[in-house]
Amino acid sequence: MLKLLGIEWMKVRNYRTFWILLGIIVVSIPAFSYMVYNLTDNTFPKNRHGQSPLGTPFAFPDAWHTISWFSSLLFVLPAILVITLTTNEFTFKTHRQNIIDGWSRNQFISVKLIGVLFLSVLCTVVVLLTVLGFGYLGNKGLLKVSAWEGSRFLFFYFVEVLSYSMIAFVIAVLIKRSGLAIGIFLIYMIAEQVIMAILTNVYKLTAGQYLPEETTDRLIPLPFIQIGDPANWEHRIPGYLIAAAIYLVIYCVVTGRYFLKSDL
Amino acid sequence: MSSILSIRSVTKFYGRIRALNQVSFEVPPGSVYGVLGPNGSGKTTLLGIVMDVLKATKGTYSWFGEPPSEKQRRRIGTLLETPNFYHYLSGERNLQIVAAIKGKGAEDIPRVLEMVKLTERKHSKFNTYSLGMKQRLAIAACMLGNPEVLVFDEPTNGLDPVGIAETRETIRQLAREGKTIVLASHLLDEVEKVCTHVAILQRGQLLMAGDVREVLISEDIVELGAAAGTEGRLQEALSAWPAVRHVRQKDGLTQLFFEEGITPDTGELNRFCFEKGIVLNHIQLRKRSLESKFMELTNEKTTTVKNN
Repeated sequence: MLKLLGIEWMKVRNYRTFWILLGIIVVSIPAFSYMVYNLTDNTFPKNRHGQSPLGTPFAFPDAWHTISWFSSLLFVLPAILVITLTTNEFTFKTHRQNIIDGWSRNQFISVKLIGVLFLSVLCTVVVLLTVLGFGYLGNKGLLKVSAWEGSRFLFFYFVEVLSYSMIAFVIAVLIKRSGLAIGIFLIYMIAEQVIMAILTNVYKLTAGQYLPEETTDRLIPLPFIQIGDPANWEHRIPGYLIAAAIYLVIYCVVTGRYFLKSDL
Repeated sequence: MSSILSIRSVTKFYGRIRALNQVSFEVPPGSVYGVLGPNGSGKTTLLGIVMDVLKATKGTYSWFGEPPSEKQRRRIGTLLETPNFYHYLSGERNLQIVAAIKGKGAEDIPRVLEMVKLTERKHSKFNTYSLGMKQRLAIAACMLGNPEVLVFDEPTNGLDPVGIAETRETIRQLAREGKTIVLASHLLDEVEKVCTHVAILQRGQLLMAGDVREVLISEDIVELGAAAGTEGRLQEALSAWPAVRHVRQKDGLTQLFFEEGITPDTGELNRFCFEKGIVLNHIQLRKRSLESKFMELTNEKTTTVKNN
């Protein structure tokens, strides 16, 4: 597998678009959090003790929750990178050539799936470093709680970014064209919200929360404002994680079977 | 090992369209095997199946006497349809990827680049190459690691006359080195000049397969003209002439086709007709071109299929 990853690396290491998109991802995660930090720090009037009505969302332990949530809003960036790298293979027909030259179909699709996993891990590492940076700065080195308290949000972020990137991957493999795949990905994101709203508001069904996008969204609730009962959310976390895991398996099976069985 | 590639009853449907129908043939070691057929006859589909980029609806194939696998494909240099490379990478970097997939080192890259005269442009991005250069890079990729078997699909596509001649010479050179080559082409001339064996495809149907000297043998034709109203008698009389394989009417003339290797004596024919009371006003010996043979072969089959 290392050999396969080495070849994937050869494909992207001199690809300018890859580095630009990766750079945007790596920079935008801390930059976006810094922008929100600046906004919240300067917008709300502080009390006489210099405290914001929002508390200390960028200090430990809340930094894990706040930064994970805001970083998850940038899900479209890794998704675009996944779609670009995947559809490139179809556009250049190099997916065929890789097989002709001596890869099995299984090797091709496996190394792509691992690439998606690596990208999600990289995004998670950037979020981790951002949280640690803000956390230590926000607490001014005086930690009243463990720095790792609340770090489960980082895991939830990983699950969310992996799920979104995998949805993008499935669409890229099935659609094959870059622009169209990005368009369908974005439309799907909106469509799912509409479906969920209809299920919840019209049919009074709670099943909408287990839709592919929504189930991972709900792992990281909106920071600052408490919506609903926290105990209820806590209770539902295993359900969201199980649903996310099932979807991930489905994404792998769908792309794997499609690539193994179809004409390339 | 009996054969390098063995294709057994391969059938391929695209929806309701039958692209290949029960195609079977064997590629012997050391042969240059031409897969000949007009555009849309199923040549690329067949090669796509044996390179695992297309799935056969029915039938099987084997490489080197073993069930197909990616390990065998690494031993084969293949140019299928268009050259497929990463547009944003240089020619050299593209070859590095091919070499890595084939499990070969990069040390062979300078040799193959030199062979296709792309050394000077090796650092240029693939999307800056002309069509001919792209084709040459694809041929270089095929040669990487000196594979024992080569599969070329229309290898002279996009090349100028010099490039075409060089590519054909390269193929002949590779054949002299004992390599087995499978060459798909719609150019009869190309197959005739380069191949030792040939399989002719027409609308997914295998018409003939075998030694190129047997399948694509050129024949002599004698054209005869007689007075109006005597054509029927002429055709009847000539059917009895020794070694005549086939008689037909075309453009007001009677055409005689002879058995392989028979050179007809036109003087004898004239005398024979005269003795039968038929006076000839035209007699000409013609060498039938391979093109017309090929056209006839494919058209005959089409007619037969339609009649069935």
